Amino acid sequence: MLPFPKFSYEAPGTLDELFTLASVSGSRIVAGGTDLLPSLKHRLFQDTLLISLRRLRELRGVTIEGGALVIGANTTLRDVARDDRVAAGWPALRDACRTIATSTIQAMGTLGGNVMLDTRCLYYNQPDGWRASIGGCLKADGSVCHVAPNGAGCYAAHSADTVPALWLYGAILRFGSERGIREVALADLYGTDGRTWLGNARDEVLLAIVVPKAPAGSVVHRKLRARGAIDYGMLLTAVHRRPDGSGAAVVSALGPRPVFVEAERVEDLAAAAHKAATPMRTHAYGVGWRKHMVRVEVERALAGS
Amino acid sequence: MTDDRDFHVRAVAEGGVLGGGGRGKVDGLAKITGRSVFVDDLVLPRMVYAKVLRSPHAHAKILSIDASEALAMPGVLKVMTGEDCTARYGAIPVAQDETALALGKVRYIGEPVVCVAAVDEETARDACRRVRVVYEPLDAILSIDDALSADKPFIHEWARKPSNILRKVDQEYGDVDAAFAASDLVLEGTYDYPGSTHVPLETHAALAVPHADGRLTLWSSTQNPHYMHRTIARVLGMRPGDVRVIKPDIGAGYGGKCDTFCTDVCSAWLARALDRPVKFVFEREEVFYAHRGRHRTKMWLKMGMTKEGRVTGIDFKAWAEGGAYASYGVVTSFYLGVFMTMPYKVENYRFQSHRVYTNHPPCGPKRGHGAIQPRFALELHLDRMCEALGLDPVQVRLDNLIEAGHETVNGLLVPSIALSECIERVVQASDYRAKKGSLPPGRGIGLACSAYMCGALHAVYDNDLPHSGVQLKCDRSGRVTIFSGTADCGQGSNHMLAVFVAERLGIDPTDCTVVEADTDLTPVDLGSYSSRVTFMAGNAALQAADRLRSQIASALAAKFKVPVESLVFAGREVRGAWRPIPWLEAVDIAEGHHGTLGSVGSYKPPKIGSRLKRTSVGPSPAYSFTAQVAEVTVDQVSGVVTVDKMWAAHDLGRVLHREIAEGQIEGCVYMGVGEALLEEQAYRKDGVHMTPSILEYRIPTVYDTPEIQVLLVESHDPGGPFGAKEAGEGPQLSTVPAIGNALHDAIGRWLTNPPYTPEKVWKAIKGR
Ligand SMILES: Cc1cc2nc3c(=O)[nH]c(=O)nc-3n(C[C@H](O)[C@H](O)[C@H](O)COP(=O)(O)OP(=O)(O)OC[C@H]3O[C@@H](n4cnc5c(N)ncnc54)[C@H](O)[C@@H]3O)c2cc1C
Ligand code: SF4
Repeated sequence: MLPFPKFSYEAPGTLDELFTLASVSGSRIVAGGTDLLPSLKHRLFQDTLLISLRRLRELRGVTIEGGALVIGANTTLRDVARDDRVAAGWPALRDACRTIATSTIQAMGTLGGNVMLDTRCLYYNQPDGWRASIGGCLKADGSVCHVAPNGAGCYAAHSADTVPALWLYGAILRFGSERGIREVALADLYGTDGRTWLGNARDEVLLAIVVPKAPAGSVVHRKLRARGAIDYGMLLTAVHRRPDGSGAAVVSALGPRPVFVEAERVEDLAAAAHKAATPMRTHAYGVGWRKHMVRVEVERALAGS
Repeated sequence: MTDDRDFHVRAVAEGGVLGGGGRGKVDGLAKITGRSVFVDDLVLPRMVYAKVLRSPHAHAKILSIDASEALAMPGVLKVMTGEDCTARYGAIPVAQDETALALGKVRYIGEPVVCVAAVDEETARDACRRVRVVYEPLDAILSIDDALSADKPFIHEWARKPSNILRKVDQEYGDVDAAFAASDLVLEGTYDYPGSTHVPLETHAALAVPHADGRLTLWSSTQNPHYMHRTIARVLGMRPGDVRVIKPDIGAGYGGKCDTFCTDVCSAWLARALDRPVKFVFEREEVFYAHRGRHRTKMWLKMGMTKEGRVTGIDFKAWAEGGAYASYGVVTSFYLGVFMTMPYKVENYRFQSHRVYTNHPPCGPKRGHGAIQPRFALELHLDRMCEALGLDPVQVRLDNLIEAGHETVNGLLVPSIALSECIERVVQASDYRAKKGSLPPGRGIGLACSAYMCGALHAVYDNDLPHSGVQLKCDRSGRVTIFSGTADCGQGSNHMLAVFVAERLGIDPTDCTVVEADTDLTPVDLGSYSSRVTFMAGNAALQAADRLRSQIASALAAKFKVPVESLVFAGREVRGAWRPIPWLEAVDIAEGHHGTLGSVGSYKPPKIGSRLKRTSVGPSPAYSFTAQVAEVTVDQVSGVVTVDKMWAAHDLGRVLHREIAEGQIEGCVYMGVGEALLEEQAYRKDGVHMTPSILEYRIPTVYDTPEIQVLLVESHDPGGPFGAKEAGEGPQLSTVPAIGNALHDAIGRWLTNPPYTPEKVWKAIKGR
């Protein structure tokens, strides 16, 4: 079995303790651990202190506040998907939770962990010995990018299934730290370099995902993956068909930041997404085909809206 | 299907255990309740752990190894390098080119170089990272063309006649050119079949235990304890009698655990050096480097046909990319061609193969070893010729079939075949004739057939000894213990042994205990490869059971004064005397009469086929046959292929246990679907394995597995135990070509290079 590196572990019982621990350098939050633990085994992080959220009841559960959905960051994907209110008002979020990995991982993994999910790349999500044989890469232990050697940084793909739908629902992220609470639009969180794609400060812990009352029209989630389960998306798509005939789409798995496009006529949305998307060699499937599929996925999502 | 069910009902009504529908495997409950013991479950006092450092280079000289920093770490006990154990070994005696750890140079990325033993796995792993190895990179051989090129260095320069071609085979039977001249159509085509790997759920694992008297026990997750026993003794310079190899429960092999691995040799060497038990379990990534999977094979096929659809001759060339070591590659070079003369009659046949070395992880036997690739080419080619001549693929296959008793032009004697029944049943069940050519656009149906072996006539090392031995012990408890050197990998061979013995003695399989795969306790069996176990160990078990039955019968005959022939063993009693004698009493009487009861049986394949000397690799005492139909849907916009349903009819000789047989056939189809749609052992151009994990190396999930309808067909092979043949490998051969032919029906394109990824299919559709 792939052994863990050595680390210490704390499970704070109050938010204050949580924020104090989160300010310690070399610490990292563990929610369900479904992404973090495999990555630790692959030696992708050097962190030596894991801070578990499991004792903080206030970070778990779904509530409605003034028509908005407030989901504790440590709520499991399964609990989100099974919530009747989510299904009724924000069905694309439920659908997105259900395309993640497998039902067992959905029972462990959390919505917060998904929003904060590391970016992924064929050259990065590999064991340490493997990465050593290619000399590492910009994102970990190296100085070149194997995907775009002449590029401007790291293009590792944003791969969180729930994010395109949450984006179109206008989700707000509530972060907390020793400095207090801060809210950020999910759409503003992600940057364009796969190493530094998260806009929150290192010590800011995600407390809740606030999803306002769903906009008029319909939002639909689609995932393109190789198999019927387990796989990360080759493309993650959400579309919003608005009552006025316009539309918006978010397509992810293309790079660190999901691609957002709008069209005055929903008929033009697929072409706009196709134009805006630049798939990279971060996946095993070819970029020409994935680019073609951007258009197809948006069209098909619209057909289901 | 109903006729087989009827057969089962009949068998049960007669008190026999054949058919066996609804009965669990003898080891089934232990498996599903977590009681099975795998190597990694074994924990011994003073046990330590081994890990290896692997090569980051595809081809490089090792200039120096400095382990001082690792050795200085607390908890590190020993560092082993290639120099510590220099004896070369390998699966096939004529091609022994491996050492447990790289010696002098490395030949693929991921090759084991240094092994560290430490008090725990973490320390051993960290210590490996602190060993400094200095390499001098060499020009790497990373394709078949590289291997055939004269300007490249040799991968095995130490060999007597260095060459990057491990084996070249040239064979010709009949007059192929004359046959082509007399044909109405001669068609040429090229095919490129991908490499793939087995993905057993349990990774390779070994635990070596030194004993006070100098002996050594090695627990290993292996398919071939006997060959491993020989290898370990030789490599460590020990007497075979001082080495004991035990295979506990294993999490499958599919051919991937037929070789001896560094887990085995390093744990054994370190255990002796440290005088402590040493455990060595691979991480998942390492299984992709140990590999021994399917050879990527490029093929060229030329075939002649009359306008009525008779196959006149075949000219076939194959180039198999074998990776850095030989493994079973010499055998592969023959298997690539030997089965092309069946199930269709071919009197003129020319075959050439090259099995080459490259700087990739070594290839070896994977389910359907060597026969999968040419079968794919042949079955697609046949459909292409039918299309060109306007012939019915079903009829052409039926018209060309060999019959029982046929000896192929390359010397394979076929004692039984029920393939025409297989074809008729899949064609009927799938409604192939009505659907072919008439499904809506994007949907298609395809047929393919195949033939496979039931064990090899020759062991991998030349000898005149039995291939399989079985020993029975029986006492007044009524329990029969079956000792056998076979290695059940989950396929159910233990249950088969119990079925044979129980059927003969009129008891239930659950009345038997199978003790298997322990070289101190069990008679030699060559192992789980080439689909030989049911056939060969089954015959040995039957012989042993017959002998035990004779002992019991003679004792009862003497006591009850009845002729031996009148005694019937069934339903846990012996009938034929004035009253039924319960099994327990019968055994009691026999033990009193003869003293301690026991018997042995063995099996050695008959020397059949008159032209045997022509091909020593390939002949088998019997052959299994399969016909399959695939129905597919192609998303014409995305190129995504969905296999909607597979029908698989398999001539397995005789059904011994319905569920196990169906499970094997479903497993074959499942693996075939993986090779058809998803799997590829793919490397970057510098030799890096791109997907060494079960997240990125994609085997089908349950959602990707089509509905599979299995049809069991019985041909009652005259040499098989109760007429049985095999069901564990042969059925995989038809799956990929059936899907390939269905794809053509769906999109009008011949796709000659699986896996049929959406991208490939999309490009093919676009190019139309
Ligand atoms: C086989 C497999 C397949 C997968 N497939 C998919 C897939 O298809 N789609 C997909 O989206 N994901 C997939 N995942 C990843 C993962 O399971 C999910 O993204 C899950 O939602 C992550 O949640 P978690 O609670 O387990 O996160 P963790 O692993 O606990 O954390 C993930 C990251 O988020 C950080 N983090 C977590 N919570 C917080 C917080 N409250 N504040 C600040 N930082 C935080 C952690 O520090 C860590 O860096 C897969 C994982 C596996 C093992
Ligand atoms: S995109 Fe480049 S830098 Fe980023 S993870 Fe992949 S190879 Fe590394």
